[in-house]
Amino acid sequence: MSEVLESLFVLGTSHHATPLEVRERFALTQSQALDLQKLLHQHEAIRECLVLNTCNRLEIYGVADCIERVEEIRGLFCDKQNVSEELFSQYAYCHSNLAMLQHLLEVSAGLDSQMVGETEILRQIKQTYAAAHNADCTGKVLNRLFEKSFQAAKDARTQTGITRGQVSIGNVVVDLASRIFGKLNGSRVLLLGSGEVSEKTAQALKSRGVGDITVSSRTFENAHKLAHGLGGAAIHFEDFTAHLEHFDIIICSTAAPKALLHKKVIALTMKQRPERPCFLIDLAMPRDVDPAVEEVENVYLYNLDDLSSIANENLEARKAEIENAREILKKHAWNLWLQLRRRELMLKT
Amino acid sequence: MFNEITITAGSAFKVAAAVYGGAFLFALIVLLMRRAYSRTIMFALLCGGFLIQTLALNLRGAEIKACPLGNPFEIAQFLAWSLVLLFFIIGPTFRLRLLGGFTAGLATILSAGSFIIPSWDRAYPLGIFGGNHWIELHAALAIFSYGFFAILSLVSIMFLIQEHGLKTKQFKGIYRYLPSLQQLDLMAERLLLTGVIVLTASLAFGAVFWVSNFELVPVFKLTATCLIWLGYLTVFILRKQKKLVTRRHAIATIALFILAMTSLWPVQSARETETITEGLPTQVER
Repeated sequence: MSEVLESLFVLGTSHHATPLEVRERFALTQSQALDLQKLLHQHEAIRECLVLNTCNRLEIYGVADCIERVEEIRGLFCDKQNVSEELFSQYAYCHSNLAMLQHLLEVSAGLDSQMVGETEILRQIKQTYAAAHNADCTGKVLNRLFEKSFQAAKDARTQTGITRGQVSIGNVVVDLASRIFGKLNGSRVLLLGSGEVSEKTAQALKSRGVGDITVSSRTFENAHKLAHGLGGAAIHFEDFTAHLEHFDIIICSTAAPKALLHKKVIALTMKQRPERPCFLIDLAMPRDVDPAVEEVENVYLYNLDDLSSIANENLEARKAEIENAREILKKHAWNLWLQLRRRELMLKT
Repeated sequence: MFNEITITAGSAFKVAAAVYGGAFLFALIVLLMRRAYSRTIMFALLCGGFLIQTLALNLRGAEIKACPLGNPFEIAQFLAWSLVLLFFIIGPTFRLRLLGGFTAGLATILSAGSFIIPSWDRAYPLGIFGGNHWIELHAALAIFSYGFFAILSLVSIMFLIQEHGLKTKQFKGIYRYLPSLQQLDLMAERLLLTGVIVLTASLAFGAVFWVSNFELVPVFKLTATCLIWLGYLTVFILRKQKKLVTRRHAIATIALFILAMTSLWPVQSARETETITEGLPTQVER
């Protein structure tokens, strides 16, 4: 059996190297992610583990018996998700030990995010960590690493300007909607799914004058609650396709495993409103809108990757701050690595 | 010394074209620097060009003792003048971003382009409208309606650029300064309606002459003018029926404007043949 510090690993895929259409093949629902975490923890080679599952990344953090056994984890994931190992290996990365630490800190600080400097990822990691901790999947090593990563992320944010000048998804959507509709007072918005990002996007649109917001979600209570908060109305999920023609902006963020809106449905909808454009925002992973919808005239479809690349247009101006943050995180990672080594030596003696 | 300076119509036309060109260059340079240009500067430049062009048209009108629409050069100049005049009406009311820059571009093409072929400004018999004020009004209104269609085609080009930017997910540069699709589409509808009304009125005034002097009207000129009118009317009706909207509407209006412009030359030739056969008096020296 190897030493603990020689078997820290992270195995995963993210938006950096994996295109959207491949990412959605690897995507897990929250319950699937928890199941995978449980399964991995039961594996004889894994001492501790945590599965981080967001729209842009799927990462398995863990402490294994020896680093060579990570290959077994790769196989386990591919079997469970029914994807070929070749495909996964083509896009996956695996970091171990100090590199894993550095990666975790950069992810926590939002440096590895699709929209560099965003804070949402830290909240997602905290939630995932809390769930893994409660399920006893994490132990002394991962607990320490994750708790320290939160501190490091905070330091990187407060000591540098990585969050300054950052553009949110909501702001990008508002700008795009203004390029299509001009004033947004008369625009009608439909939220499909009651996710947090879509809620924030709807709030950004509301702040720019949108008065008519409708929410539709598989759980009607959730839709009703969100609609109430936004001052809008809720409709049953089964009925939303019948009402599509009435909406100018449709924000999709459901957890549906397959696309909900297909080219045929949208083409039919557009026949009923040929002179009014339709702005579709797909924030879901896997995607809720079939990419072929883009071919329909007068329809403008933007997914997460499109919005993020627009939001990152001012990245060049923030490059120096990003480098500063990376240096701070490197120091944190090195200190943490030394602490862990010292602790291990003390335990040995 | 200053008493010796005499302003001719030709030199005033050249200065006006240069000012329009300057306005267009200003817009182009600022946009290439990925910034929005100052509307005040653009308005002032177009205003300067317009005033000089008005003076030039006035001088030419005094020379020929009629509305200066006797040859392709004058038609192009009058069209550019109508275009800029319409921009002054539409621009401040609807505050369409970048319309000034686009107007300056087309005004430069029309006013400077008319100098490229010297034969366009050929001499023609005096009293080309035969002293008939209905025909003069018909001609002026027809060219003015083409001014509407010119600005409509500019709005359509802006629509297609914005639409292309949104479809291909472009966010930087010109795309972020262009007006919204809905604004451009609404503007296009209004311009089309107004243009069709003005062209219909022009044809109605012309018909007063044609009905009584049908043998003097060249068939080609009448056919071409009616076809252009019918084309715009059809586009308008199809738009109202929601059968020709947004992108296809923009393409149709641009295509019709190009057709209208190319038909101007044969129409003009036909009119010259007509006036020559009428045996009108002396030629104006250029």
